[in-house]
Parts: sequence; structure tokens; C-alpha cells
Amino acid sequence: MNGSRTDSRKLIVEGLWHNNPIFRQVLGICSTLAVTNLVLNTVVMCVALIFTLSLSACTVSILRTLTPRNIRMMVETLIIAFYVIIVDVLLKAYWPEMSGNLGPYVGLIITNCIVMGRCEAYGNSNPPVRALMDGLFNALGYSFVLLIIATFREILGMGTFLGISMPYFGGPRWDKWIIMVMPPGAFFMLGIVTWVFRSIEIRMENKNK
Amino acid sequence: MIRKKSWFPVLYMFCVTAFFSSIVIGFTRFTNERVEANQMLAFEKAVLTVLPGLYEDKLSRMELHRKFTESVDEPDAFSGGAYTLKQGGKIIAYALPISGRGFWAPIRGLIGIKADGRTITGIAFYEQNETPGLGAEIAKDSFRNQFRGKEISDSGKPINIRRPGSILSKSDVHAVTGATQTSNRVENIINTALKKWRTEVTKNTETAE
Repeated sequence: MNGSRTDSRKLIVEGLWHNNPIFRQVLGICSTLAVTNLVLNTVVMCVALIFTLSLSACTVSILRTLTPRNIRMMVETLIIAFYVIIVDVLLKAYWPEMSGNLGPYVGLIITNCIVMGRCEAYGNSNPPVRALMDGLFNALGYSFVLLIIATFREILGMGTFLGISMPYFGGPRWDKWIIMVMPPGAFFMLGIVTWVFRSIEIRMENKNK
Repeated sequence: MIRKKSWFPVLYMFCVTAFFSSIVIGFTRFTNERVEANQMLAFEKAVLTVLPGLYEDKLSRMELHRKFTESVDEPDAFSGGAYTLKQGGKIIAYALPISGRGFWAPIRGLIGIKADGRTITGIAFYEQNETPGLGAEIAKDSFRNQFRGKEISDSGKPINIRRPGSILSKSDVHAVTGATQTSNRVENIINTALKKWRTEVTKNTETAE
């Protein structure tokens, strides 16, 4: 009991911090750059990734003893595609505006390296519940970094947060930074966020020594 | 054991694919009607918004559809490809479909014109994938409302989209700040459609007289 609790604790800390998909593994950058100019788009993208990543890691793990090793990548891609199509169809049917906003990026979760990476690195060799946990917390690690980037981009670039005008930034005194809404703005924000988080991490490690 | 056989991976892949595909197929079938209805409704809503006095906020999906089928007439021989709104058999306004290449993806929409063939009653886009916060502003009220009451100019471009801040004549509107490309393309899309429509309608009325 005690052992499993420290295990899940380790999974949480790894996914959210020490092995964070964005600023440690530097995976899934494509979607980070593409969908973070509005907070609402980012939230939906994160939910889609959380769903896909945790469930596909879990499914890969359930099938792991059965799947022949030489075709495991094919099976993994198939499983990931399955969940992504479900999300895509759901959005198209019940939230067409959002589906339009995200454009091709929901479908591109299939090629998001985080999903494949977690299925390969963890789902393939661990029991289903732990694979689910690992997928979930990696996805959450991805989500919180994306949300930070999106918040800065939307406020600085458009003066709004979730579409609501912000004091000062929404007013005439703030000259909106259009570059923040464009793809280059995402590069700068991602660079700054990675820099800040890694510095904090190095400082923490030095303290522990 | 069956797993040691050389053909096992093929059989396994086949079974897994068949299993996941059938779920996806079933699921798509289930939502297909709704997805198609969404696309149709987006179009019908755009038609209703550009015609005068038809669109109200908070119409339910069914009411919207009913209103469209009741009040809007399909394009006929005299309307030059435009949907029409008739009162007592006489056309009082046209809704002309416009489409063309946007900055990222195709833009499709409608432009409403009064029976005089000059005054614009509104503009709406039901398909566009421009940059959120920049080009995508074309779908927002602040950009669209500018068109209402403008007049199509006889000489030069029917409608001019001018730089933000410039002085406007009665056939000019302001472009979206920071989205020169999208604005240029929208101007092009509108003018190509209007020019074509104008020649067709005048041709038709001349032969009718």
C-alpha cells in the first residue's frame, strides 16, 4: 500500500515537473505554438489531449501482453488515432464553432509526440492503472504550461482573457502586441517559460545538495 | 502456442483494426446527421443575418431552420445566383454567396444587398480559418456592422477596404488592424462576386424587359 502511494506520488511529480512534456522533454511543440493564442482554444485542446493521452496509454497497457513487439508501433498509432477521431467527431457534432477554431490541430494530436512517447515509454511496460495515471499527469503537465503561455499571449496580444476585456490591457493605454497573437509570439513565450521553469528547477536541485 | 506463429501479428493487427474501426464507424454514423445539420445551419444562419429584419438572437436550431425555409427563396434565373427575400412576389433583398481564398484556408460567406442592387444590408462568414484575434475578426460584429448601409460604387472597386483610421466614403469600410492579408483577400472576394453578380442581374433584367 505504502509502496503504491509513493509510486503514484512519483508519477505526479514526474509528469507535472521533473519530466514535464513541454519544458523538460520538449515534445508536442507544434500544438503549443499553434493553439495558444486564445485561452479558450487552449483549454479545449488540453482537455482533448488529457482524454487522448490517458486513455490511449491505458489501452496500450491493457493490450501490452498480447501485442507482438514488432508491430507495437502500428497498434499504438491505431489506438491513438481511434481516441483522437472520437474527440474530433464529438467537437464537430456538438461544438462546431470550436471545431472550426482549432482547425486541423485536433486531428494532429495523433502525431503529437507526447502521446506516442508516453505509450512507448510507459504504457508499453506498466499495468493499466499506472499507465492511465502517467498519461493523465503528463497531459496535465502539458496543459498547465500551455495555459500559462496562452494567458500571456491573449492578455498582451488582445487585451482579453477568455474573451473578457481586461482592465488596463483592454483599454486604450495599452498598445496591443500583435506579435503575441502571431506564431512568433508563441516561440518567444515558450522560450521564456522554459527558461524560467528550468532556472527554478536548477535552483531547487542546488538547494537539495 | 498461437502467439509464436509467424502469421500471428497479421491476424492480431487485423482484429485490432477491425475492432477499433467498427467503433469509429458506428460513432461517425451516429453523429453524421448532426455534423451535416451543423454545416447547413451555419450557412442558413449566415443567410438570415445578411438579409434585413430576419435574424434574431437566441433562435433555437429548429426555429432558425424553419425561418430560413419559410422566408428565403433559393436562387432562381433572375437573381444571379443569390438567395432572395420576397414580399408579395417582389424581391426586397438578395443574399449573394461569396467565396475565395483566405490567408490560411478558404473563406465562404454571404453579402446582403437591397432590391436596388446598391445598398448593402449585411455581411456574414460561415466558413473561415483566419488567425484568431487578427484575421478572424472579420467574423465579428465590429467588422461586419461597418458594411450595413454602404453603397456599391459604380466606378472602380464596388467596395473598398481601407486602412484603419483613413477617411471613408459611402462605399468604403475599415480593414482589420494587423490583418492586411485577410482584409485584402476579403475585399477581393467581395468585389469579384459583386462584379459578376451585377453583370448577371443587369443582363437578366434587360432580357426580361
